[in-house]
Amino acid sequence: MFAVVQLPDFFLQAALRPEPELRGQAVALVDARLAKPVVVEPTAAARRQGVEAGMTPSQAAARCPGLAVRNRNAAQELCAAEILLQTAFAFSPNIESTAPGVCTLDLTGLPLQTEAAARAWAAKLLGALARFNLDARAGFGPNPGLAWLAARAAAPALWLADPKKFIFDMPVSALRPPMEILQALDLWGVQTIGNFAALGKDQIAARLGQEAVQLLETIETRRPLKLVSPPVEFAERMDFEREIETTEALLFVLNRFIGQLALRLDAVYLVVAELHLRLALASGDHYERVFKIPSPTNNLQILFRMLQTHLETLRADSPVTALELRAEPGKAGRHQFGLFEAALRDPNQFAETLARLSVLCGPDNAGSPQLSASLRPDSFRMAAPEFSSGKTPLPVAPRENSIRQGLQLRRFRPPLAAHVEFRGNQPALIHSQRCRGPVVATQGPFASSGDWWEPGRSWAREEWDVQTEAGLYRVFRSPEGCFVEGVYD
Amino acid sequence: MPSLKVIQLRQALAEKFPGMRMRLEAKPARESGPEPDLFQNCLVKGALNELSAGRESTGSATMMRALIAHAAARNQIMAAVDGFDSLDVSALEPAELARLLWIRCRDAETALKAADLLLRDGNLPLIFLDLKLNPEAQLRKIPATTWYRFQRLVETTSAICLAITPRPMIPAARARFVLKTSFALRDLERDAPELVDAASWEADALGQRNANLHSA
Repeated sequence: MFAVVQLPDFFLQAALRPEPELRGQAVALVDARLAKPVVVEPTAAARRQGVEAGMTPSQAAARCPGLAVRNRNAAQELCAAEILLQTAFAFSPNIESTAPGVCTLDLTGLPLQTEAAARAWAAKLLGALARFNLDARAGFGPNPGLAWLAARAAAPALWLADPKKFIFDMPVSALRPPMEILQALDLWGVQTIGNFAALGKDQIAARLGQEAVQLLETIETRRPLKLVSPPVEFAERMDFEREIETTEALLFVLNRFIGQLALRLDAVYLVVAELHLRLALASGDHYERVFKIPSPTNNLQILFRMLQTHLETLRADSPVTALELRAEPGKAGRHQFGLFEAALRDPNQFAETLARLSVLCGPDNAGSPQLSASLRPDSFRMAAPEFSSGKTPLPVAPRENSIRQGLQLRRFRPPLAAHVEFRGNQPALIHSQRCRGPVVATQGPFASSGDWWEPGRSWAREEWDVQTEAGLYRVFRSPEGCFVEGVYD
Repeated sequence: MPSLKVIQLRQALAEKFPGMRMRLEAKPARESGPEPDLFQNCLVKGALNELSAGRESTGSATMMRALIAHAAARNQIMAAVDGFDSLDVSALEPAELARLLWIRCRDAETALKAADLLLRDGNLPLIFLDLKLNPEAQLRKIPATTWYRFQRLVETTSAICLAITPRPMIPAARARFVLKTSFALRDLERDAPELVDAASWEADALGQRNANLHSA
């Protein structure tokens, strides 16, 4: 037994999938790539008002004043085809991409021997597609050709209990023969598939050629399926008809994209581990950004906030013309908090907070400091903290060569320029922005230098710890002058 | 003195968690003196705490450093919102740095916004807000309602928020400690635990009452 799932008006459905509110309205899909753009698929509401395929947009608009016109969208058609295959693959491992918007499933091995079981199975499959704003029909037949014919006649599912009876009165045009064959059969008075089959294969071959025989064989023989695997990529794309200049419009589309991607991954029991955002700009450039989800999830709010936080600060040179959001699937994290483990309760929330802090203070001003392998004072770099569950680093042994200092220094960044009067080689009077006055006691000088082997980076200094009436300070003298480095506190 | 069962449990845990054993082994060095986490027993969880250090060189940074070490030794992650970008990270150990989120700000307003984000986040159990070096002009602009808002935020969590200020200025603080020490040049030769032990501080009536309530 075979099943065929068909998306009627596939191109129209693909184009309207991001705008489901238009499905009940009068909309005409226009193929703008043709030399003379014409309506290719109108909605049922448009048909009721006289819009037909082949009309020019102006003709269609004349018949239906409130008509909305949409262009065929190759990116959306690709997404819809991927969704169809991915959804079908969750119901049968043997699937064929028969035509745009048509998928054939081999039901061998599935417990679908009765019509009731098949209808229940079809209801689940069609329901899964409906979550992606796709209306589908399903037909069941003993071979792929008959199943496809059943799908075309289904509303929304059809089980062929008696295939011969089903096709006997069906018009020959349902087999979609070439125009010349259809005209010849019409002249002979052969209107139905039953009459066509009654001619006999030899007579058909002699009069109409092998092509006509093949038409008959599509419903009589059980051809092997060209099995395909659904793409492992989960992406939503959109080419905008008008350039997008504001974040709000972009976020509106992205919100729907995230919803669709989460549903698609949910259907195959996966979650979003990474989001890849790609914006095509009118200037021809592309903007790309990868969002790694600290704790993979399908939570729409978390995923959306992550994108929103970034896009609110994004400034592009030119407007956006196309958008692609790709989700890398992963498995949902399972983590039990340990007795002695201080993992983050909500890594995704923390990632968002970190992103906001980076925006607030600057990307190099929020993170975990890492000391550089240098004796240059105050030499460090900022790194992204790794506090996520399971990644919290174990206690590390103290640095062997660390300078164990009791009183902590509060650094002035940059060091404050100071006027220092020396008595011998000891500071006697300091005058700077934060400290001034006579020096009560000193320690030093402590000389240090480094990087003399690298041109332009060498440094040398003499340090003193000085006590004034106000407090304890570290003062240093370098070729650039005297500075107050910080206050001991 | 812990009971035999407790000792056996500790041994079993130390074998199961090698990381813990390292910390337990590091402990005996401090057995001779009091715990370095001077305020840890009095800091109120889920509340705003204030450490006020009026003069220079009173040891507020050293206290903060001791608290960072204390938290890191317990594998806690923490954040330091540095109001004047003054934290000397070169004095911290790698294990402390790995558990520290350092937010470097240049003014009090940015620091308060950063602290607000972290308090709303609710992931970190210990948050320092260091305003010690910020100019008085910046601190005067902080409305009292900000601190009440922070208190409302932190009380929904079990986090400790410790603000280090040059003068008592947080009306919503549940615990306030005022440092009275004034360190001199000779104190540079002393190690950190000694300095923490030597530091003198006093808690105001409100802070002490809240600390008692917490410990009760």
